[in-house]
Amino acid sequence: MKKKIFIVEDDFTIQAQLKTLLSGNGYEVFAVTDFSQTIQQIKAFVPHLVILDIKLPGSNGFEICSEIRTFSDIPIVFVTSSNTDMDELNSIMLGGDAFITKPYNTAILLAKIAALLKRHTPSPQAEYFTWNGVTLHLESSLIEYKEQKVELTKNELKIMYYLFKNAGKICSRNDIVDFLWDNQLYVDDNTLSVNVTRIRDKLAQIGLIDFIKTKHRQGYTL
Amino acid sequence: MSEKLYLKNQMPAILVNLMGMLALALFLLASGNQLQTVLFIFMAWLMILITYLSAAYFIRKRDLNQLLAMAEQLEERYLIPEIMKKPKKADEQVFYQIMKMAEKSMLEKIGEIRNERKEYKEYIEKWIHEAKIPITAMKLLCENNRSPFTRTILTELEKINQYTEQALYYARSEHTEKDYSVREIALCDVVHSAIADNKYLLRQNNMTITIDNIENRVYTDDKWVRFILNQIISNAVKYRSEQPVLHFSTIKANDRIILSISDNGIGIPKSDLPCIFEKGFTGRNGRTGKNSTGIGLYLCKRLCDKLGIGLTAHSENNGTTIALSFQINDFVTGVQG
Repeated sequence: MKKKIFIVEDDFTIQAQLKTLLSGNGYEVFAVTDFSQTIQQIKAFVPHLVILDIKLPGSNGFEICSEIRTFSDIPIVFVTSSNTDMDELNSIMLGGDAFITKPYNTAILLAKIAALLKRHTPSPQAEYFTWNGVTLHLESSLIEYKEQKVELTKNELKIMYYLFKNAGKICSRNDIVDFLWDNQLYVDDNTLSVNVTRIRDKLAQIGLIDFIKTKHRQGYTL
Repeated sequence: MSEKLYLKNQMPAILVNLMGMLALALFLLASGNQLQTVLFIFMAWLMILITYLSAAYFIRKRDLNQLLAMAEQLEERYLIPEIMKKPKKADEQVFYQIMKMAEKSMLEKIGEIRNERKEYKEYIEKWIHEAKIPITAMKLLCENNRSPFTRTILTELEKINQYTEQALYYARSEHTEKDYSVREIALCDVVHSAIADNKYLLRQNNMTITIDNIENRVYTDDKWVRFILNQIISNAVKYRSEQPVLHFSTIKANDRIILSISDNGIGIPKSDLPCIFEKGFTGRNGRTGKNSTGIGLYLCKRLCDKLGIGLTAHSENNGTTIALSFQINDFVTGVQG
């Protein structure tokens, strides 16, 4: 079942782009359409999480937050362009779960949302990926093929995670490096090549040849 | 108080006395008194006059010196009428009244300027928050549509964001009220978020990032430190070399934790090094091609001073190391054991 996210944001472009971003990451998204009906719309949509701006037409984010808290304890993420201590303190006092300032890093926003949802409504999450008979175990950072296993390093695991997540699609080198940077692994293009070569060597040990394919000038694909 | 001038001021009184003496002497002589008696009276009068004048002078000098010392000790000297005793002499009371009037108009003016500055600061903050909305929208648009083209835009957006932040923190640093809150933070979190703030800028410039042992926790304001790190990172990018490297590390020295940020850029000339934290200083690097405002590092220093962080810069032939040194509070760590 898709997790549902409700967006309360008055800037139309941000609203639309957030919708694109979140639905692209597997969430069902609904954005407020009538600011005088925000609470009613939240009640009707029954979201798992609310993204809330502070400065809004009509009642502000703090008021909406305390009103939500009267009937629900779903995670509330405050997203605002003001980064004063007062606002941050207020948002926490009123029961907000996270406070993110604009312009936000989308990777950080997505990570925060995922963490809050996981904590609030735990669901059996896929701790492994399978593609063409190859399994990637995230917890133990192992890759398995026909009962044979080989261990991956932190960088290698993250690269494989990205490739498995986008299995079948072409992943550009830039996107992979971006993803690694978002995970606080600051590798450059050369390091990526070195890492991919190492992964290929490891895969060869368990009899997997040409599992990662290079698309010339485009990137890698599984 | 000058003696000469005082004497000159007392001249009319002295002259009147002398004339009185002369008239009395003539009268006494004319009425058949002996010269000796007249001279005696003359001397006595003179003695009394001199005693009076010098006593008056010393008392007055003592009082005025006290007032002068009081005024010198005062931080806001225009407030002197508030603490001085109200004078009893008629002419002094007039001056006192004038001083009161001057003080009042001064206070009004200060209040006016203070209000104006506060309003301006609030306007700047509001403006920046408004400007961040389109920046956010553009960032999301670009991240949802990744291409080499949008990557370039994202790099420029990071620069715009950095400039708006600079204006925001400038406005905040000029203001006397406290705008920060100190809490326990993990240094690695701040470093990682500062790198994330400059992700595209660093990536576009092929900056190699290395991080060593930054697991320490310190007591400070994370937003301010993040801004300071952003400023240092953008400098490192601006003055980079062919194969740029940026290295973050911490060491613990006595009661301080020192976070060092080293680059292998073009470095800072030795003659410029003592001035880099001065407002408006651009130096040789700033003048040769790279447009530098001379605000970034000045602001870093100001914020560091407010937060009690030590900020130092070292530069050899190539490469610069900026060190932030955080005080480890004995009391806090002591309580936590």
